[in-house]
Amino acid sequence: MFNHTHRAASAGLAFGLAVLGTTASAQECTTKIGAVLPTSVDWGRPIAETAQFAVDQVNEAGGAAGCQIEMVLRDTQVDPKVGVDAAKALVDLEGVKVMLGAVSSGVSMPILTSVTVPGGVMQMSCCSSSTAFTGLAEEGKTEGLWFRTFATTAVQSAIGAKVAQDQGYGSVAILYKNDDWGQDMGRMIAADFEAVGVAVTTSIAINDAQPSYRAEVTEALRTQPDAIYLALYPAEGTAAVREWISLGGTQNMILANSLKSDEFRENVGMQYLGSALGTDTSSPRSDSADAFRAAYMARFDSEPNGPGLANSYDATMIALLAMEAAGPDATGAQIAEAVARVTDPAGTPVTADAAGFAQARDVLGGGGTVAYQGATGNVQFDVNGDVSAPAVVWSFTETGTQEVSYLPLDEVDAFIGSLR
Amino acid sequence: MIGVISYLVFFATTASILAIAVLGLNLQWGNTGLFNGGVVAFFGAGAYGTLILGGAAQAGHLGGYGLAYPLALLGGMIAAGLMAWIVGLLTLRLRHDYLAIATFGVAVAFENLMRNAEWLAGGAKGVRGFERPLRSALGDGFIYNLLFFLAVLLILIAVYLFLERLVASPFGRLLRAVREDEEAAASLGKSPARLRLTAFVTGSVILGLAGGLYGTFYAFVSPQDILPTLTFQIWAMLIVGGAGNNRGAIFGAFLIWGAWTASGWALSRFAPVEAQLYTGSLQFVLIGCVIVGMLMWRPQGLLPERLVVSQRGKPPSVQ
Repeated sequence: MFNHTHRAASAGLAFGLAVLGTTASAQECTTKIGAVLPTSVDWGRPIAETAQFAVDQVNEAGGAAGCQIEMVLRDTQVDPKVGVDAAKALVDLEGVKVMLGAVSSGVSMPILTSVTVPGGVMQMSCCSSSTAFTGLAEEGKTEGLWFRTFATTAVQSAIGAKVAQDQGYGSVAILYKNDDWGQDMGRMIAADFEAVGVAVTTSIAINDAQPSYRAEVTEALRTQPDAIYLALYPAEGTAAVREWISLGGTQNMILANSLKSDEFRENVGMQYLGSALGTDTSSPRSDSADAFRAAYMARFDSEPNGPGLANSYDATMIALLAMEAAGPDATGAQIAEAVARVTDPAGTPVTADAAGFAQARDVLGGGGTVAYQGATGNVQFDVNGDVSAPAVVWSFTETGTQEVSYLPLDEVDAFIGSLR
Repeated sequence: MIGVISYLVFFATTASILAIAVLGLNLQWGNTGLFNGGVVAFFGAGAYGTLILGGAAQAGHLGGYGLAYPLALLGGMIAAGLMAWIVGLLTLRLRHDYLAIATFGVAVAFENLMRNAEWLAGGAKGVRGFERPLRSALGDGFIYNLLFFLAVLLILIAVYLFLERLVASPFGRLLRAVREDEEAAASLGKSPARLRLTAFVTGSVILGLAGGLYGTFYAFVSPQDILPTLTFQIWAMLIVGGAGNNRGAIFGAFLIWGAWTASGWALSRFAPVEAQLYTGSLQFVLIGCVIVGMLMWRPQGLLPERLVVSQRGKPPSVQ
């Protein structure tokens, strides 16, 4: 009996030393990962900062696959040529097997088709929302190398329809931003409204930076909808809603998450936003999301409220976890395959921080799988590399926003299922 | 090592494609004096035309004609040429800055058309799913990129030789005559309007060729590829290289694109980690400084136009 314990103890000691040994040797090598993000744009910089934050946490936990991680960051200038060239340089000159980015779908797509897929590099985007990626994946042209942590517009759109249904609106007019996100959003929400029996009176594109949206707003007003749905950004959203209200439009509004902004609330005025309801994908009600928020606030001294921050964190963390799971010297395809092992719903839950990463390393080292509990939720990719997410319905208050209701992931999935 | 070569091939492909576009602009501005402020429209027409004609079938917009690649590329060039012809008929009476503003407007209108007309070219999502020619035979790797580069290089050389012949010919002399003094050219019985239109359409077809190759190379094109920035970049290449000199146009394309990418690479490589986040903005400052510097100290470009006397008289007889 004593002998047995003794042997176990010495085995434990040896194991511990071995772990120490690997941790020590982890300092000696560096693995590079690439990031192509629009750092020359104001909202792009925090996304890159958050990615670096995740890398720092992993390095604190001893690095991934036995090596410290160095994130080589390149600016895309939101120019496809520049982004593609930067990505190619990262793959060829720095030898990266993992590419984080880009933000704009119009930049991510040519990187995917001309750099990462031909080069066998895994690409994980925080923020590209275009449905074109789903189409490309369905055609088998992404070769399983493409992932994104930005919940597709499907979640937002479905919840928007649910709000209209719950509020009992009979007809809705849609105003959408005239870019890839807005066009997708406008088309999907129209289909979802029809699916729940809400009539769509009209669907109008709103171009950026127009001095006035009177023509568009008047056109929407003429159809006399019970409510309007707004898939707009704060600047043109403010302008359009001001004209809408001043022309006597209804104050029943459903807002996409892009309007969850103090700028919009202040510039439109709270007195007009009393019956506005917004939708958003949500952090899960889990400890890991709170841990992320706390860690983020400790590091940056502000709430992680900008667009794409939680998504950027998760993209980086999952990529690094997959590198850990795939082991040293893995190819991009092997790392992409390992993503399933770190986002396995049946796996051991791990939190989104250094301790969680260390725990994941132990589980993966023992041949197990882990379920990454991320900043955007219990992230699970479907076969096309898309994620679903829990959702919230929110409304404005005098000081910010408040949650009206919360729909966990399974309810969201069930509702989306009922629409199709 | 193979990585460096692979990257250089990739870089040179993009630079060569841009060089073809700069050559097209050089025929218009350098040789004929037409201020085309809408370079991207013709570049974009070529790219969209090629991908729509040669691509796989797409739900929801035009495409899936599956033409053989050379035909698709030719189609893209014809699309660019047709557009140039229509635009030219309408605007070529305009001079200099007025023409620049009109063509700039055409480019913005083209971008907006592509962004909005989802039935035409997928709207903001762009045209995807293009199968690059011979990809199934050659795979996706380095060999493919190398052969693609050689093909682009051959096309670049062909365009260069064509333009060199053209500007050295009597027709080229006429273009310069129109550029320098239209009335003088007209007084000799030439038709400046027709010459301007011919040069404008020819240059735009070359821009369309560059666009077609660009779309092929990325297997994708979206409205984001045809923003006014590209017009600016191609103009910067021509100004720095030397307007009126075809070799200067090519040199300028390689130089500016090289500076554009190398500055990004160098900043990400050598700037300290804390400064990394700001290197993107810094890069814009650097590029701007280079262009301003060029304009101040060498406005004729690095390889200025060589004025040639195309027909020499007899050498003076030696006494």
